Amino acid sequence: MTNAESPPSPTASFYAMSDDDEGEYNTIRHTKTGRGVKLLYTKSKVYIHPSPSAKDNIPGFIALIQQKSAPGSRPTSSSSAPTASAPSDLLLAWVPESCLGDAYDTYVKVDLSDTSSPPKQTYLVPAPPITVSSPATGHGTYAFAIPVSQVYSLLVRPPSIGWWFGSVVINTRAGDSFPALFFHDSECQSTILQRRRLMRESFDPFQGESGMFWGGDEVLRWLKRYVRVERAGADPNTYLIEPTEGDRRGFSAVDGVDKNRKGSVTEAPKGGAGGASGPQDGAMDPFTKFVKETRWNILEKLSQVTTFTRRTAQAVAENPKLPPQVRRLIATPEVQTLSEEFDSARIYLARWAMGMAEQSERERDARIWTARDVLEMEDTGVGEFELLDVSTSKGTERRKSVDMGEWEAWFDTEGRLQVTPDEVKERVFHGGLDADDGVRKEAWLFLLGVYEWDSSREERTAVMNSKRDEYIRLKGAWWERMIEGAGPEEEMEWWREQKNRIEKDVHRTDRHIPLFAGEDIPHPDPDSPFVDAGTNVHLEQMKDMLLTYNEYNKELGYVQGMSDLLAPIYAIVQDDAVAFWGFVGFMERMERNFLRDQSGMRLQLLTLDHLVQLLDPALYLHLQKADSTNFFFFFRMLLVWYKREFEWPDVLRLWEVLWTDYLSANFHLFVALAILEKHRDVIMQHLQHFDEVLKYVNELSNTIDLPSTLSRAEALFNRFQRTVAALDQKNPLPPPSTARRRLPAPTSPKSSDDGKSNAALKAAKAGSIASRAGGASSGVEAGPAKGKGKVGAGNEAGDGKEEEGKRVKVVSPELRGLLSRKVVKLEKGDVQKHGGRVR
Amino acid sequence: MAARKKVLLKIIILGDSGVGKTSLMNQYVNKKFSASYKATIGADFLTKEVLVDDRLVTMQIWDTAGQERFQSLGVAFYRGADCCVLVYDVNNSKSFETLDSWRDEFLIQASPMDPENFPFVVIGNKIDMEESKRVISLKRAQAFCQSKGGMPYFETSAKEATNVEQAFEVIAKQALLQEEAGDFNNDFPEPITIRPESDQGGCAC
Repeated sequence: MTNAESPPSPTASFYAMSDDDEGEYNTIRHTKTGRGVKLLYTKSKVYIHPSPSAKDNIPGFIALIQQKSAPGSRPTSSSSAPTASAPSDLLLAWVPESCLGDAYDTYVKVDLSDTSSPPKQTYLVPAPPITVSSPATGHGTYAFAIPVSQVYSLLVRPPSIGWWFGSVVINTRAGDSFPALFFHDSECQSTILQRRRLMRESFDPFQGESGMFWGGDEVLRWLKRYVRVERAGADPNTYLIEPTEGDRRGFSAVDGVDKNRKGSVTEAPKGGAGGASGPQDGAMDPFTKFVKETRWNILEKLSQVTTFTRRTAQAVAENPKLPPQVRRLIATPEVQTLSEEFDSARIYLARWAMGMAEQSERERDARIWTARDVLEMEDTGVGEFELLDVSTSKGTERRKSVDMGEWEAWFDTEGRLQVTPDEVKERVFHGGLDADDGVRKEAWLFLLGVYEWDSSREERTAVMNSKRDEYIRLKGAWWERMIEGAGPEEEMEWWREQKNRIEKDVHRTDRHIPLFAGEDIPHPDPDSPFVDAGTNVHLEQMKDMLLTYNEYNKELGYVQGMSDLLAPIYAIVQDDAVAFWGFVGFMERMERNFLRDQSGMRLQLLTLDHLVQLLDPALYLHLQKADSTNFFFFFRMLLVWYKREFEWPDVLRLWEVLWTDYLSANFHLFVALAILEKHRDVIMQHLQHFDEVLKYVNELSNTIDLPSTLSRAEALFNRFQRTVAALDQKNPLPPPSTARRRLPAPTSPKSSDDGKSNAALKAAKAGSIASRAGGASSGVEAGPAKGKGKVGAGNEAGDGKEEEGKRVKVVSPELRGLLSRKVVKLEKGDVQKHGGRVR
Repeated sequence: MAARKKVLLKIIILGDSGVGKTSLMNQYVNKKFSASYKATIGADFLTKEVLVDDRLVTMQIWDTAGQERFQSLGVAFYRGADCCVLVYDVNNSKSFETLDSWRDEFLIQASPMDPENFPFVVIGNKIDMEESKRVISLKRAQAFCQSKGGMPYFETSAKEATNVEQAFEVIAKQALLQEEAGDFNNDFPEPITIRPESDQGGCAC
């Protein structure tokens, strides 16, 4: 017993403590005396995963609890042997950490007590609510405590490749299943300690993945002290609790009673643990076996049945051949949601699998520990140790944000930058700017090019004054036109249309942000379609700024999506003239996204295509099979720079990082790659059609973790840079293209978003990777690389094999452009060439 | 085609920005209306299971961005469509006038096998607004639909859920007919265009 501060209770000294000695309950030092139940064993960091997102995971304790039996239900003798302890007195419980209150300390203490022997001391905790059926999913706390006598079986799934967390599902005699409990072993102090001890004893705790000690073993060990636990022969993952003869026959339990009470290490099933396959198949039809497993197990199985792809859960449920149990499982909320939202189980599975993978990132590192690591851990005595991802070089660490103090210290008394712009950019790139102290208001104007990096404070004031005047002039120009109606009718019509577009979009842009919420002033324009809705002063400012931009850039005009780009700048700056010029700076690099022929978007999607080919050919081939190499599923992310994928504060952070151009003026494409890579396994395993990929990627919205994505993007950039350098070294002859990443030439002078460009796209799709790269950029490149050359190294399989020998392998100009830190802006006339303004 | 396979009907919703495409889809699939949908960027879809003539089908309804320049990348999801829904706002004449170009655009991009008979359904949305705001009359809309081969026409309010269910019922029927015709054609190398006499022509209001 390790807890010296808690004196052992005088009488408690055996497994099943009798509860006849009422006085004992009150002698225990516990904040809540007199009431409660005995906490025999517990284990911490056992989670319920209510949704695919790790965010929703609920940490808690699994516990074996003894309650006082109802009077008269059993003899009060204190001589009861362990096996005589009626399982009805025992509760198997799960309690979320958040519900424990004062009892938390007690749970932790019991968790850390030595469980190799029976508890020597009694700890009392408040009784958890007793439940005999699974709580309604989605509501309540999930906490439960079920009498062990009501437990029919446990489905025990040890951690393995692909299932980083071992899990236990409790099936009741009534036929319910409780939500799966996931054992986050790397967070659980007691499991870590137990592993360490086992390691001391056997010197080989890692005798293979399946043999590793984990939290679920411990639960079985507790139970075996009180009740009969038998492994089902038909299904080695199922453990029957106090099985009847019938149960045992149904499951052909292994060797009757499981004798293996000590060596929990060897308990994890290794496949051949149970009865021969012949009789087992005869004893149980496949569907019955199906039903015995849990809900998630069913989904897992469904994913393996390829014919399920296009069938809905609904259809499965209505199949008359299905036993009612399966139909009931299919009716669970998760599967229902799946059926409502999408017709493919793959999507659900993919999302769910991603949720699993997400939270296992740390765990994954833990799984590759070597014995030496463990020995080192022994030496330092640190319970949990940090592992650095080997691929994460020091530079990719996210650092603390730049606050006003740090920012101001970079400037001299005249307000001139004393450090190099690159130093500033490096800091912002890796740390971002403080979200609250107002430093953004100043710093963003530098990042957006409103202020020159080498300007003095005085110069900046002068610049801003003239820019204010210019803003007023531009605003006056369209205002006058509106009022006076001067100009050709066609022109007036265009202005009216643009005004309507802008107004419509402003009224549906970021209205959840307090600044833009509410309608507290009457609409100034009685003809506006929003006259009934009212408006607020910030919406009106947004409208004015966008109309002024429409005036400032008449060639292009306002295009949908621009309001999304302006809103954050205005919200930070909160001065319409200043925000306008910040927006103009932003638009210089974003303009290409809004060209009428979409050539700017095409170029970026194509570059992403090349990037994936180069860095992840296996994924690329999968996407090709899924008809998804148009990368259209990244359209929204690239168009408005992930505005719809991240919450507001993250958008601000991401944008300031991207504005630095610290590594690449197109770092946003590495962000795209980082997002794609994070989900690559799921995509490759579960998604096989364009619509599935699109739906999956669309639904990533608001689930993406920004800091880790940025780190990954940086690591990917570094890998990209190394790869290109290696290719150039291998292939010194073709001179590296110096071409900037220009837009592909428009396919027809007037309107190019017609059949022609699509035909080109179709042709490109049909062609090989290489010819596609060449073809799509042929309008641009006049160098020796033109029209030949694979995108990258010869590491792609498949397409273009026959020509591989002949082709000169060069880095496509699109890819090489990614190494540039210079923002490519459109030139005069480009907008016209690429389709002109909206009509 | 001995066994009846599971049917997926692909529906594309097109129309000017702000006419209510997202709202119609959400009203139909989720029975919800929100005044604060953001402008759609790119494309997304929802699915719904429905019974059409006692047959269980899955409707996959694609919602698209309304600003014209975002259409050129849309080929990827236009293809294989079984029905196209053209939406306009009855209070906005421009959105009505562009219906024709949306239709043409769709036929070019989707290149259906038999463009003449490809099913379109037209929806005039936002009829919940005051009558005085209305600029496109029922008569005018019907005349237009008649002139284009008798496209079924519905007037709806996504906000108040008026007529939405009815419109999509017809959309589903049209799509199923199209899907079956498509399958039929696929079974024969030389397409013999025997189309079932559909209930096209005539306003369903």
